Amino acid sequence: MEVLYGIPFTVLECPNLKLKKPSWLKKPSPMFVFAAVLTSYFLVTGGIIYDVIVEPPSIGSTTDERGNSKPVAFMPYRVNGQYIMEGLASSFLFTLGGLGFVILDQTNKPLMPKLNRILLICFGAGAVVIAFFTCRVFMRIKLPGYMQS
Amino acid sequence: MADADLVVRQDIRSAMWNPGGWKSLLTFFILALAWLAGFSARLFAVIRFESIIHEFDPWFNYRATHYMVENGFYNFLNWFDDRAWYPLGRIVGGTVYPGLMVTSGSIHWVLNLLHIPVHIRDICVFLAPVFSGMTSMSVFLFTKEIWNPGAGLFAACFIAIVPGYISRSVAGSYDNEGIAIFALMFTYYLWIKAVKTGQVFWSICSALSYFYMVSAWGGYVFIINLVPLHVFVLLLMGRYSQRIYTSYTCFYIVGLILSMQIPFVGFQPIRTSEHMAAAGVFALLNAYAFLRYIQNFLTKAEFRYFFIAAVTCAAAIVFVAVVGLTWAGYIAPWSGRFYSLWDTGYAKIHIPIIASVSEHQPTTWVSFFFDLHILVCAFPVGAWYCIKNVNDERVFVVLYAIFASYFAGVMVRLMLTLTPVVCVLAAIAFSKTFEVYLKDDSPKSSQKGGDENGDNKNDRLYDKVGNKKKIRDDKPKDDEGLGINVKSIIIVALLMMLMLFAVHCTWVTSSAYSSPSIVLASYGQGGSRTILDDFREAYYWLRQNTHDKARIMSWWDYGYQIAGMGNRTTLVDNNTWNNSHIALVGKAMSSNESAAYEIMRTLDVNYVLVIFGGVIGYSGDDINKFLWMVRIAEGEHPKDIREVDYFTPQGEFRVDSAGSKTLLNCLMYKLSYYRFGQLQLDFRSPAGFDRTRGVEIGNKNFDLTYLEEAYTTEHWLVRIYKVKDLENRKKLKNPHKPIRKSKRKSLRGGKKVGVIKNKSKVVKGRKSKTASASSRSSKSKK
Repeated sequence: MEVLYGIPFTVLECPNLKLKKPSWLKKPSPMFVFAAVLTSYFLVTGGIIYDVIVEPPSIGSTTDERGNSKPVAFMPYRVNGQYIMEGLASSFLFTLGGLGFVILDQTNKPLMPKLNRILLICFGAGAVVIAFFTCRVFMRIKLPGYMQS
Repeated sequence: MADADLVVRQDIRSAMWNPGGWKSLLTFFILALAWLAGFSARLFAVIRFESIIHEFDPWFNYRATHYMVENGFYNFLNWFDDRAWYPLGRIVGGTVYPGLMVTSGSIHWVLNLLHIPVHIRDICVFLAPVFSGMTSMSVFLFTKEIWNPGAGLFAACFIAIVPGYISRSVAGSYDNEGIAIFALMFTYYLWIKAVKTGQVFWSICSALSYFYMVSAWGGYVFIINLVPLHVFVLLLMGRYSQRIYTSYTCFYIVGLILSMQIPFVGFQPIRTSEHMAAAGVFALLNAYAFLRYIQNFLTKAEFRYFFIAAVTCAAAIVFVAVVGLTWAGYIAPWSGRFYSLWDTGYAKIHIPIIASVSEHQPTTWVSFFFDLHILVCAFPVGAWYCIKNVNDERVFVVLYAIFASYFAGVMVRLMLTLTPVVCVLAAIAFSKTFEVYLKDDSPKSSQKGGDENGDNKNDRLYDKVGNKKKIRDDKPKDDEGLGINVKSIIIVALLMMLMLFAVHCTWVTSSAYSSPSIVLASYGQGGSRTILDDFREAYYWLRQNTHDKARIMSWWDYGYQIAGMGNRTTLVDNNTWNNSHIALVGKAMSSNESAAYEIMRTLDVNYVLVIFGGVIGYSGDDINKFLWMVRIAEGEHPKDIREVDYFTPQGEFRVDSAGSKTLLNCLMYKLSYYRFGQLQLDFRSPAGFDRTRGVEIGNKNFDLTYLEEAYTTEHWLVRIYKVKDLENRKKLKNPHKPIRKSKRKSLRGGKKVGVIKNKSKVVKGRKSKTASASSRSSKSKK
């Protein structure tokens, strides 16, 4: 067996090679993975793919009865259409709500002064609640009949 | 909502005193309630209208099921449907996922065996709601494996009422997705179980469940890509183990063989690119396992070189093999539908027929919020917990979450595959949060075990700094004071949100997802309800008043309904397998009348059916879809049809007098607005005012030369036209032998009279003397 292995090396000379794992390649930390996931989630829920394919304007405009053009942030009555800014605004709210939950979890660390803990709890809960109710407001603007009938 | 409340209560109890009996009773009770709630939330359509099949595709599924129940399974598999895609026909058995039909057919069979006579239609209508309950069971099991039973109960309750899933599983929407989501989640549950235990039993089970999924829905490709991806990522993370090897190899081989038994799938699993990832991972896993085996015989240094070389070689060989086979034509490249998932602009440019379907549109933020509501916020939190405490099966959930959310962003329809994982992760988030904020309320006495563990950890942390010990002792007491107030506030806020979630779900289900779309309802000012039953009116007219073999031309959306309700032959339908045929119909619709007549003659059309919503303001009518017909026709016949011709010079699509001439004279326009110019709907608007587009139409007075109006329904929603036969030849100026003509007439008339008067025996193949005699005698009478 050893002889067989040796056959090529009678002709060839082994190069003095050292293969190392490149130093930048290592298992990413959970926080990094989560940040990447959250960023992509932010973009996807904001309808970035819709923006790429359909190419809507960033903000719409209407003309009122006097002929002045007014900016409109939300494309009303259409579930399958949006302007770029409204998508980003609402996906920001989704992300804010998510971060609120994460903060609520973080308050549970044992090593935290009381004041910080209260502040964080308030902040986290506030983020969740604000995100939630603002989303509902957005929905009302988008579909004026939302939860009415 | 009641369910969510119960879940919370269950959490407390399991923490406070932990008797297994209570726990399983509550679990059972909550799951039963979730099933009941999910079932009854889906019945809006049945209660408001009747037990009826909805929309378009379900009509085909219903028709196929009906056929199978009447003619048996094997006749169904060999069914060649000559009533669709005239004159091509369709091999139904080979182009359908039979899981749905087989499922409801076997339910029907069992019920009949028990002497419970139920019409197959009712089984079809109620199949999806029943399966939604099974889905919540399998989601419960899945979440239980991933996290814990508490989160599982949350997830079961969420999936039971979440609108993203209800949208495809209301009573009457008898479609593949209704049972496929159950199969999907159950396969994933069994796969997780297989990875966890490493037993052949579980992986065979998951392969069987995968087989059911393959027979039910084309979305099985999602499983056969996600599972290998899971294995691959586990390899990359260095989490290879014997368990993974066993489960994946068993799953892949058995699943592959089973999936090839479905006629529609056939040899695709070894011949198309969508399935190649699975094969590649299978090869890679085996190579890896082989290397691990080799490792036993080599020293460490030798092995390292050997390993790197072998892995590179294996990867390169697999890659080259796949590329080479694709290039040589043994493996079909990505089909357009899958390709458009990656290159998002692809469908818009190349395949208008895929882009034309509204459920293939990219998703906006509204759909996310509409379909998932509060869960959309909690979803990343669940992902956060899973990433933080990662293990083999949580890697799977995270991968599922990432890919499903990307796909859901590309197509509205794929929101359906995202919904279960959102429910799972949101359930984890809620359960974890509730655990934190509810458990601390019941300190010392009951929870010694948990508290001790926590304390020990703290002690270890604090040991290094000696003098802080006292401060730490104070802290828990402070927490108590804070806890009861702040924590209860937070819990109340979260419960409020869950309640609003339930309200939202019910509202969305009742207002957006429960219309059968073949029966329309409009609400008057006093809350009175008018039912517009025009579709069925028209289809029954077709069924009763046209010849059995009559060919009906319409846009492809209505093909299944015409076949299902009208029982007549159609040219194109919702199974859009032949683009050029559809383009031909689109061309007929978008060219002028005489050009269209030629196409209709060649296609042997008897009737043309158009949907027109201008009278009642129905927005889903053919004029609004018209641009897609033009685009699809343009794709195949770029010389005859150009999309630009149908726009005004300003690039607008309008049907009033400013609209382009081509549009105002095309067949679709004429068929929609024939005689509409004479109709004045109310006194405020002029005659010929189109309510859907809000304009007065441009071309009012025109006549049809090659078609005639056959039927128009009560609200003008469906209009049917009869294609006239070819005109008679021109009359000759000097008619030949006028005397003979009159003779013949009298002869015919005489024959009839004679036959009625004294019946003659007709012997085949022989001239009967009496008949000729009688005719002679009658002649003489005349």
